[in-house]
Amino acid sequence: MDEDATAGYREPCAQCAAVNWGISEEGRFYCMSCHNVIERTIEVVDLSVAGSSNRLKSIAKGPRTSKEERGYTWLVCEGFQFILKNQADALLRLGVDPNFKEVLCQMWRLYLQKSQQAYTSDRLRGSRFRPLNIDSDSDCATESSIVSERESNPSSFSEIDSDCSGSADERTPRRRNRLMRMRKTLALVHLALVWSREALTLSDLLRLVRDGHVPYLNAYEQFPEEMKLSGNKSSVFNTKSIPSHRLVHKVAQSLVLVLELPAFPPIGPENLLHPAMLSMRYLADANLPDGLHRWVCSLMERPQKSKRDPSPALPRHDVQAAAHIIVTMKLIFGLDDHTEWELSNKVTPHDPSENLFSFRRWFRLMGTALGRAEQKRDRDMARKQWKPKKPIILRRRLAGRAMKTKRISEQLQMCFEKLSSSPAGVQDVGLSSFRFCWGDEDGSNGPSLHHMKLDGVLSLEDDVLTPLNSSYWHPGLRRCKLMHCQGSAPGHYPEFEPSLPRSFVWVLRLFSFLLDVEPCYLFQEVLEVERRLVGSRLPGQRNKRRLRNRTGKEEEQQEERS
Amino acid sequence: MEEERRAGNRKLAGWCQNFILSMADLDDQVRDFSTVKNLDDGSDSSDRSCRKGHKSTLPLVKPLSVEMDKETGFRRSVQMCLEHIREAMLRHRWQEAADYMASYPQILEDRNGATAVLYKEVVWRICTEILHHHPRATMESCNITYERMKHSGVKLYLTICLEHCFHLLLNGQMEEAKQQLSVAESWRYGKESATQHHKVQLIQAYRSLLDYIIWCDKRRTRSKNNPFDSDHQDLHNYFRQASVHLQEILKSPGVWDPFILSYVEMLEFYGDHVEALNVLNNYALNKRFPPNPNAHVFLYQFLKRHNTPEKKLIKVLKNLHVLVPSHELMLEYSYFLLQSEKIGDSQKALGVLLEMLDFACWRSNLDVWRCLQAVVQDLRLRDDWERIVQEQMASRQDWWPVLHFTSFHAAKDSKENPQLWKVKSSLLKILCPGRTLGYSGKKR
Repeated sequence: MDEDATAGYREPCAQCAAVNWGISEEGRFYCMSCHNVIERTIEVVDLSVAGSSNRLKSIAKGPRTSKEERGYTWLVCEGFQFILKNQADALLRLGVDPNFKEVLCQMWRLYLQKSQQAYTSDRLRGSRFRPLNIDSDSDCATESSIVSERESNPSSFSEIDSDCSGSADERTPRRRNRLMRMRKTLALVHLALVWSREALTLSDLLRLVRDGHVPYLNAYEQFPEEMKLSGNKSSVFNTKSIPSHRLVHKVAQSLVLVLELPAFPPIGPENLLHPAMLSMRYLADANLPDGLHRWVCSLMERPQKSKRDPSPALPRHDVQAAAHIIVTMKLIFGLDDHTEWELSNKVTPHDPSENLFSFRRWFRLMGTALGRAEQKRDRDMARKQWKPKKPIILRRRLAGRAMKTKRISEQLQMCFEKLSSSPAGVQDVGLSSFRFCWGDEDGSNGPSLHHMKLDGVLSLEDDVLTPLNSSYWHPGLRRCKLMHCQGSAPGHYPEFEPSLPRSFVWVLRLFSFLLDVEPCYLFQEVLEVERRLVGSRLPGQRNKRRLRNRTGKEEEQQEERS
Repeated sequence: MEEERRAGNRKLAGWCQNFILSMADLDDQVRDFSTVKNLDDGSDSSDRSCRKGHKSTLPLVKPLSVEMDKETGFRRSVQMCLEHIREAMLRHRWQEAADYMASYPQILEDRNGATAVLYKEVVWRICTEILHHHPRATMESCNITYERMKHSGVKLYLTICLEHCFHLLLNGQMEEAKQQLSVAESWRYGKESATQHHKVQLIQAYRSLLDYIIWCDKRRTRSKNNPFDSDHQDLHNYFRQASVHLQEILKSPGVWDPFILSYVEMLEFYGDHVEALNVLNNYALNKRFPPNPNAHVFLYQFLKRHNTPEKKLIKVLKNLHVLVPSHELMLEYSYFLLQSEKIGDSQKALGVLLEMLDFACWRSNLDVWRCLQAVVQDLRLRDDWERIVQEQMASRQDWWPVLHFTSFHAAKDSKENPQLWKVKSSLLKILCPGRTLGYSGKKR
């Protein structure tokens, strides 16, 4: 496009939506992609300008330094710092304690120091981003490792010249983990939240990210004007998906090692982040009666049974709380496709006041609500818009095509938005820590069962409340020793799943929806809790064990103590 | 291994210049994958093809399309979106399809070059389908969609042009359709490949058809006013424009019914009967063309219009008889055969009529039965008529009675069409002698 001749005429062509104008011999504007000639002519432009002498000053021949091209050189870690700051501000707006931002800042500085990107005497040179007008015509490197080739070519100085030597070092495995990536921002934020004992769990954080309340997806779009992204290093800011709970936790754990953090400040039982409090929250969300809470707490207080208990440096309170709730439900209701229905059958006819908790009623209520919520989640997932408004252009000669495709996609979208009843993308949902709303108000998912009593499933024996269900089942608890099973994502759950009782699988599904994790992940945690409860030295068969006496004894001891 | 991979990639970057795939994408994947196993597969293929010296668009999709646990959120979203759209379209829930379609065009911005054309086609087809069926869709939105998708790439340009033109024709906008096709005709990009050539031919043929339509309009309006020379010239211009490409397309094998009709009509108007006959003969009789009964019908109608002797007409109809024994023109054929003086033609006529009546659609047609009656009467003048009739009816004795002569048919015919019943009962004994059939004459 002849910039000078067309004087920056940037209207997209009516036929092909490209901005690629040229001037024909008669002085008319024509589109160079589809040869569409438009009415505009060069004389018109000149006339309008030459008409008044005041305007002559604004036509400057020669190098134009428009505002867009002014910028400064900045480092990758500066970019990440900016993103982290935005994320922290968003969380502060949502009500997190301002102390958290301080903690995050400290952790970031510590990270920069440990990875030798800043605050250190021997600084590793990271990639720099220079503004465009310095090297306007050279194309950026496609592979940072073609350093040797380019260094032998002194004439081609691209934007990432000597920095590549630094980045080549970064490619060694030891350094690879030190590289900053988008998911590390979430891991850092999570660490800071845990450190400041905020009640925002990792699953809550990820949900906020997913709904767009905390910037993550295409966060680089919020960079100020002066920070320009170009070159192949800018792909580090690309966000292709929202990382899963497991992944962020793993990254956070490795960060703990890198940062050589001391032990985390302890969380007392009155703190909202403590699993006991979290379990109360999840019980309320799952519309389970409040009476279950004391059973969950007593389960949590049981001493550690297994000797070798690899406690991770970074605890997962949310998953632990959910796993304890599931195990409690197994203890009380059985969840073996049999006991819970029998118990419900016993409850229903003898309940004129309808105050007793019935598993069947809860299952039906929860089933419809869960189904609807899962459908809504799938719908939102399908309609989520991932592509940024300002795409990162890795090679400048593809920029034109990318922008053209973007315009086409936007116009098609507008076409269909006119027809559709709702706008594209996901609606802004109201913020809430709870996934469901139980009660009698409009818009609730159903009636609340929180006040119901568990008398139907408990009995008073020897002055001690014990569950009527006297047996407990569990799958094989021995840890799988195979190499590829250790730490692999689904573990053995897909193989186990068809043989597990359906009600158990459904409860697993419910809680994994509440926490937004994979059922296999939650299942592994449940297995951990059971290992602690039952011990892992049992034969790997499914067996029923009589625990009533044991739990009875424990309850007695507790009663005596209290 | 790393070095090899990088070397391979370097070579690719140099060679595949038409290819949009960004190397940084591959880099991204390198960093994303924690295991290097699957990468080896991808790099192996790229290295192999480097050594072979492939200049073609290398499908470097392999590493990108490998099923990993870590499917990106974008990919999952668009897959789910596509499934919802498909579900909605299958059940004709157009509003829901439009809702989901509003979030789908982001797939076009996917940086994977190998699937870009595929997705453009998917998006184009789905968009147009939804817009055709949605109650609130406007012509304008359809036009916008066609225009945008046309210019989104070069592989689909001609196809979309053609479909846009069809859409405009469906809505009665002849002028715009013609304009579109003229633009498409003059479009050139790169080397003309075989597929492009075919499509350009089609485009030219349809443009000629549109020229013919305009010619028809002009002729109609002209006949109302006094014919002026300039009008005549204009008309002739259209004729010339149209005939150029129509001639072309009629030379290549295919089914070109509307084109040939229009061409023949124009030729007849200008009095060029010879050329018209040539074209029709070629269309009907050329072995390279697929067998097309309509071709013979057109030829027959043309010959009839121009008072050809019966012999030629019989020849054409004979060809048609081979292709479609149940055609309505077979009745005329049998009339011709009946009236001809050649011995054996009556026999042929019997064969033709019986074959017609083999088809259930002619079961209640009085004309056919009457003709059959006439043929039989003609045959009875000969001595060996019984043998002739039995020869023809031998293979039919099993199923003809059930087809035509049951008591149910008797009841129906006597109620609805007594004349038919009379004719049929008179033929009953001749066609199926020695059998007692339920086709009795009791009127209810």
